Amino acid sequence: MRYTRKVIAGLGMTLLLVSTPAHAYLDPGTGSMLLQGLIAAVAGVMVTARMYWHKIKGFFGRGPAQKEHDENDQDHG
Amino acid sequence: MAEARIDRGSFRDPAGHVFLVRDKVFRTVMPMAAADYEAVRALPTWSKLMASGRILPEKEVDPTTLGEAAEGAAHVLEHPRLAHVSYPYEWSFPLLKAAALAHLELHMEALEGEINLIDATAYNIQFQGPKPVFIDHLSFRPYREGEFWAGHKQFCEQFLNPLLLRAILGITHNAWYRGALEGIPVEELNRILPWRRKLSWKVLSHVTLQARLQQSAVEKGGKAEVKQRKLPKPAFLHMLKSLHSWISGLEPADTGKTVWGDYARNHSYTDEEVAAKKEFVANAVNAFHPETVWDIGCNTGDYSKVALDAGAKRVIGFDFDQRALELAYARAVDENLDFLPLFLDAANPSPDQGWAQTERKGLAARRSADAIIALAVIHHLAIGRNVPLDAVVDWLVAMAPSGVIEFVPKQDPMVQALLRLREDIFPDYTEEAFLTHLQKRAKVVDSRTVSASGRLLVAYHRAD
Repeated sequence: MRYTRKVIAGLGMTLLLVSTPAHAYLDPGTGSMLLQGLIAAVAGVMVTARMYWHKIKGFFGRGPAQKEHDENDQDHG
Repeated sequence: MAEARIDRGSFRDPAGHVFLVRDKVFRTVMPMAAADYEAVRALPTWSKLMASGRILPEKEVDPTTLGEAAEGAAHVLEHPRLAHVSYPYEWSFPLLKAAALAHLELHMEALEGEINLIDATAYNIQFQGPKPVFIDHLSFRPYREGEFWAGHKQFCEQFLNPLLLRAILGITHNAWYRGALEGIPVEELNRILPWRRKLSWKVLSHVTLQARLQQSAVEKGGKAEVKQRKLPKPAFLHMLKSLHSWISGLEPADTGKTVWGDYARNHSYTDEEVAAKKEFVANAVNAFHPETVWDIGCNTGDYSKVALDAGAKRVIGFDFDQRALELAYARAVDENLDFLPLFLDAANPSPDQGWAQTERKGLAARRSADAIIALAVIHHLAIGRNVPLDAVVDWLVAMAPSGVIEFVPKQDPMVQALLRLREDIFPDYTEEAFLTHLQKRAKVVDSRTVSASGRLLVAYHRAD
């Protein structure tokens, strides 16, 4: 009897230890926030790349091309 | 001053609550939300948004108007009362799609003018006729440079995922949404999507990647780090814009638009019989002078339109058939009708549910009709679903003070179709029994047999 109880308790403990961490304490929006972090990073890289592109174009005498800058505004993300 | 009743659907937001006083609707703005409330209303975009009709009108009133309920509030707003409140699990695919697009359009317009939406719940959209309107005036706050879209996951679960369920897999969202209330979880949708559909960049990013990132965060035991990057405003706007163009193109996977055309003609009437039926309904509605008519079993809205033409101010339609609802919605939009067709399984209407079972009201608690029309409905319930005839009559008569009910007799081809593959265990399904049940509860004011098969139309006033 005592033995059976020990086995059950042991099994219970094992289950508790191996089960995946509960969702309960994790903000369920973490996935979305991480995704937007990636989008933000990509957008950041694109802004930097474009800045250099404008510098290169400026160096070859095509000017800062303000108009193109506006048209390209939607290309982030 | 009549007693102010709090709207149980508005309890979650500590920024303010909605109160009903007789037929008026008020909203408190608590001090914690007052600064954002004032800052948003000082921006020129706010008056443009209000003028666009995307948001339910608001009028700031003297807090004493609301009496004790206004205690502690920094501001009190008054709103026009909605004729009917519906929930996303009662919407057809095109209604949910219209709500999603309206939400995105509002968000884009607001964001361009430095206003952000703090959430993206579908319950913040209501319908006036087929037109969506945003109803949560405390969801706005000034945009902060670089902030993330806080409502992205909520938007996915409450709008995008239920639409994808139908557009990719051909499964309607209503039952799942009603059970889960907060929409369809990203991880669960990701599990059931076929892998080749995940090759699409949009599905991959909004569903699969989001689910994976969430899962990896869970595996890290909640220690996942969200980097404090800034999301540039053009990137934020691009997210909204690309979702908008994606959702605009979604259509149900299980129906072709072409089958709809003949759908309305799929009944057992001749043209003269249809004309007689329309005339009867028009006369009855005209005599009832109703503001709101509920059309139970509205199909594609033929008789909803008759009711509107006969003087009803608006019609809320209900049907079980998704294709019929989609066609009814298209008709309401095309013909600019104050007609809202909603999903209803009459044998299992929406219950009281959510927190404390008061957050989302059941259908009975939202009864708003002055009259009903229930044409070719009774046999679906009494024979198709085995509900006793007197219980069906009871349910219909309880819905509004007046109405028109059509009794479809057993010899009618449509009833015969229901009985073809099953035993006839309905000896009490007769016109005589129907009239006896009805007359116990109502005064019959008009009746006419409108088809060769013996279909009977009855107009009545409830005895109360």
